[in-house]
Amino acid sequence: MDHIDPRARWIFSFAVLVAATSTWNSAILAILFLIAIIWYSLGRTTWKETHRGWTLVLIMLFTMIVVNTIITGGGAGGVVPEGGKLVWSEGLRLFGKLLKPGLTVERIWFAICQLMRIGSISMFFILIPYTMDSRSYGATFSKLGLPDKLAYTIELAIRFIPSLARSFSITLDAQRARAFELDDVKGGIIQKIGRIAPLIIPVTMNAILSSEDIANAMDLRGFGQRKRTWLFELKYHWWDYAVIGFGLLLTATCLILAHVYKLGAFTVPAFFYQLFQ
Amino acid sequence: MQEKKSLWKFGTKQVVYAAIGAALYAVLAYVTNIIQLPGAGNVSIRPAVVIPMFFGIAFGPIVGFIAGFVGNILADLLSGYGFWFWWDLGNGLLGLVPGLIYPLIQDYKAGKSILLAELFVVLGAAAGMGVASLSELWVSGADMKTVIFANFIPAFIPDVLNGLVLVPLLMIAYAAITQRSGRS
Repeated sequence: MDHIDPRARWIFSFAVLVAATSTWNSAILAILFLIAIIWYSLGRTTWKETHRGWTLVLIMLFTMIVVNTIITGGGAGGVVPEGGKLVWSEGLRLFGKLLKPGLTVERIWFAICQLMRIGSISMFFILIPYTMDSRSYGATFSKLGLPDKLAYTIELAIRFIPSLARSFSITLDAQRARAFELDDVKGGIIQKIGRIAPLIIPVTMNAILSSEDIANAMDLRGFGQRKRTWLFELKYHWWDYAVIGFGLLLTATCLILAHVYKLGAFTVPAFFYQLFQ
Repeated sequence: MQEKKSLWKFGTKQVVYAAIGAALYAVLAYVTNIIQLPGAGNVSIRPAVVIPMFFGIAFGPIVGFIAGFVGNILADLLSGYGFWFWWDLGNGLLGLVPGLIYPLIQDYKAGKSILLAELFVVLGAAAGMGVASLSELWVSGADMKTVIFANFIPAFIPDVLNGLVLVPLLMIAYAAITQRSGRS
């Protein structure tokens, strides 16, 4: 992964995003899911590193798939046609009671498709922070066509993080010395929000006051007068072009299949129906 | 004399303000994630959202947008949540919409200015979280009911509450420092 240019990685990731969101065809989604697994494995990240991102994705998947698609059927609306084959057509006997769950085979297959779609997108975008050098962000976005000022803003924001984090830490310690309790559980939501004010206000105001000096220093050095050069140099190799080309081909194929050949619609394969005979 | 405010200006000062706003958003989001602020029921408190709102009001819509958009990218980067374009865009709108009143505000501690800011904070939260939530229609295949109840409301309500409580406090503090330092 380290050998692939950051621009190629962004382009490929967005290409897969467009491709995955253009279709509900399970075969296409399965191919994209497989590509995502290969791409993710190239990143060689560990569970320890990425568990926070995956926890967020798993909560989202649980809400969308288990609650909305399988239990209530809400998430299947608009994509899965009304009706369908009931999984428990005779009813389900649970603790001596006969229940009539409305879960259909179509909704289970739709949940699998959602899992493949969200899973593929997540594998691409969770990987970005762990495999991309934060110093390369400014240069990458500039070379991708973002205006220099905007690209430099991203670069500058990354540089500000350590000093602002220190400022937050000092302010938090100083306020705690004055009996400020940020994590106090007492009070309603408004009181809890108000409790953050002694932390957020001094740090924000100090940062604003110091920004004037930074802006003046940048102006004195002629910031924005001509095209900017970047310390972090980026160079395409043949494999970067291959990655970009493959991504664009993938997107074009998915869009053509979905919009020209009308193969993007949600359908349940025959073998899946047979499992519930 | 008051300097005439230009709504869409993006000069050196705006670059620095936007960068500081984005970094503040990222750090505050990260710090409050670690501290685990207790929420009310299912509503989590994310006070960092007031940074793009306030930076929009104080320095213009472009600064507000970048503070939210880039700040959310960096916050997710620090927290290891990955990259979620539509939610980053939604956070950008949280700052851009309140920023539209930037030329109208001269006195940041005046009641009228604060009321106007509060109104645009609500509109910004509605637009930002609306766009981000609606993206789930085509990204995840969720239906409108799911989008409203599982995505929009849990994001919109805490953002509005944070904005309504903290933005006026930041505006009053900003009015004090501009007066003290003789800035316009």
